[in-house]
Amino acid sequence: MAYAYLFKYIIIGDTGVGKSCLLLQFTDKRFQPVHDLTIGVEFGARMITIDGKQIKLQIWDTAGQESFRSITRSYYRGAAGALLVYDITRRDTFNHLTTWLEDARQHSNSNMVIMLIGNKSDLESRREVKKEEGEAFAREHGLIFMETSAKTASNVEEAFINTAKEIYEKIQEGVFDINNEANGIKIGPQHATTNSTLSGSQGGQQAGGGCC
Amino acid sequence: PSLHAFSLQTSCSLLMERQTEREWPDLGPAALYTFSGCPPLSSTSAAGNKLYSALLLSVMGVCIFVCVCCSQYLSPLSVYPDTSLHRQQSLPHRPTIPMVARIADQNTSGTPAMTEREASRLDKFKQVLAGPNTDLEELRKLSWSGIPRQVRPITWKLLSGYLPANTERRESTLQRKRQEYFGFIEQYYDSRNEEHHQDTYRQIHIDIPRTNPLIPLFQQASVQEIFERILFIWAIRHPASGYVQGINDLVTPFFVVYVFEYTKEEVENFDVSSLQEAALRNIEADSFWCMSKLLDGIQDNYTFAQPGIQRKVKALEELVSRIDETVHVHMQQYEVEYLQFAFRWMNNLLMRELPLRCTIRLWDTYQAEPEGFSHFHLYVCAAFLVRWRKEILDQRDFQGLMILLQNLPTMHWGNEEVSVLLAEAYRLKFAFADAPNHYKR
Repeated sequence: MAYAYLFKYIIIGDTGVGKSCLLLQFTDKRFQPVHDLTIGVEFGARMITIDGKQIKLQIWDTAGQESFRSITRSYYRGAAGALLVYDITRRDTFNHLTTWLEDARQHSNSNMVIMLIGNKSDLESRREVKKEEGEAFAREHGLIFMETSAKTASNVEEAFINTAKEIYEKIQEGVFDINNEANGIKIGPQHATTNSTLSGSQGGQQAGGGCC
Repeated sequence: PSLHAFSLQTSCSLLMERQTEREWPDLGPAALYTFSGCPPLSSTSAAGNKLYSALLLSVMGVCIFVCVCCSQYLSPLSVYPDTSLHRQQSLPHRPTIPMVARIADQNTSGTPAMTEREASRLDKFKQVLAGPNTDLEELRKLSWSGIPRQVRPITWKLLSGYLPANTERRESTLQRKRQEYFGFIEQYYDSRNEEHHQDTYRQIHIDIPRTNPLIPLFQQASVQEIFERILFIWAIRHPASGYVQGINDLVTPFFVVYVFEYTKEEVENFDVSSLQEAALRNIEADSFWCMSKLLDGIQDNYTFAQPGIQRKVKALEELVSRIDETVHVHMQQYEVEYLQFAFRWMNNLLMRELPLRCTIRLWDTYQAEPEGFSHFHLYVCAAFLVRWRKEILDQRDFQGLMILLQNLPTMHWGNEEVSVLLAEAYRLKFAFADAPNHYKR
């Protein structure tokens, strides 16, 4: 399928915060309460539309366990966007954000857009991290912020799309060197043509493999 | 040409017939086969394939295909699972096993009728196991092509080195090892909530419900507690690696096989509370020790930065570039890196790519092979990748390749597919292990 741009993402954060569930909700629009844990990295993809342009998102979902860090680090390079996820019901996952952020900044290109995500917003009664704390952390470190629920799908779409919008704006402003693929952006075959015939099937879901 | 066609048909149907009985053929020194991918010797066309001459050897009950006409790569995989015409003629269609019933087949379920051949194999095992000293070499040879489920628990314990070959010493060894394990539990398990072990325990605790999430057996609280204890004790006794995700999967085959020692029921939905407490304790201790033996051989897979995995993935890439350059170049062209899909193959020993019943069959052979888990696995991975050559070459972008390679369609696989894979792996090992420059380009 033709597209104007391809953006590469990486999803990071502590183990068990819901990284894989967010990805599954975004690509397949479903929630799987128990699922196999992620080993190393897993791949997902979906098409979105921004400003009338088809944008292909290719997303690396990483394992949260410290042991895999040496493997997952190599995926920062070549990512245009990162979703940094914590669990609002587990304070320690919020406390580890600084470490994650340092790791991300150190190994990625400096223009990578980082979206901070407080996941599991449906579990209000078990909340340990206030929304304001997430907002404050994001403000302090120059990140965009949202609370999401992979379970109810609340804000999931927005989290992925707003990150893409931010990247898209940076491209318009000329911040990103789009000819350098190491930035996680690729110009597609549809580039420079305005949104043509493909309006009907945006968000092409994968049915067991191979979309977009 | 007509002679070729005749021989092909005869040998193929013979092969198929044997294969349905889960045995490899002993066809004698020479037979004719179709091979795709090497230059034609004769131009006869059978089932749309060109016909090539090949020499077939039988070693350890495994077929090895060696081409007599050229030095190109020969794939027995292209001989028979993919020659759909022959398959349709000779193999009855097996029903697709649904996802949830992943482990319910010949390796773990009750008692389907035995064929004569299976019965005779079982007898052979019983003979080898009966003596006062088990001949482990003989047991390895027998086990290579699969272990009958009735004798799998004892055979696994012997092959892993957990049980001594001497029959008289077995019972005392078992008692001692089981006591030792529960001694560890008594001594260390309470430390799981102490500060220095808290992270390890918490990680294990989060991961256990995510281990085999679709199989009811593993959702029972007492089973999950067993897994937690096994993994926690192993982790704190091996601080160089500690607990790494993926190790949780490695307990599963042992647990399932050792549960089967105590029940004739289907294991998948088995309610462990129907077992006596002593039986459950034995299963737990035996699983712990056998898993430990396995991990001893692959510990550098899980130490800092996982050097064992890095090395094996590189070796896989190198091997594939030699055995199937087309596939290798195709993946390179679309910028697929081996680490992106094969990391998990090494970290979880293909357990994530295969149904559990297949892993159990695979491990029969891994335990029969010298360095099965640490070395032979590499050849199995190479055979596994090349098994999907057609599907891989059909994909024409990075995304399609990645999605294929992370979700290979093995859901219907059973013993037959694993046997073919293992035979191919054996052939690769035979051709490449001691010849690092063989076929090097």
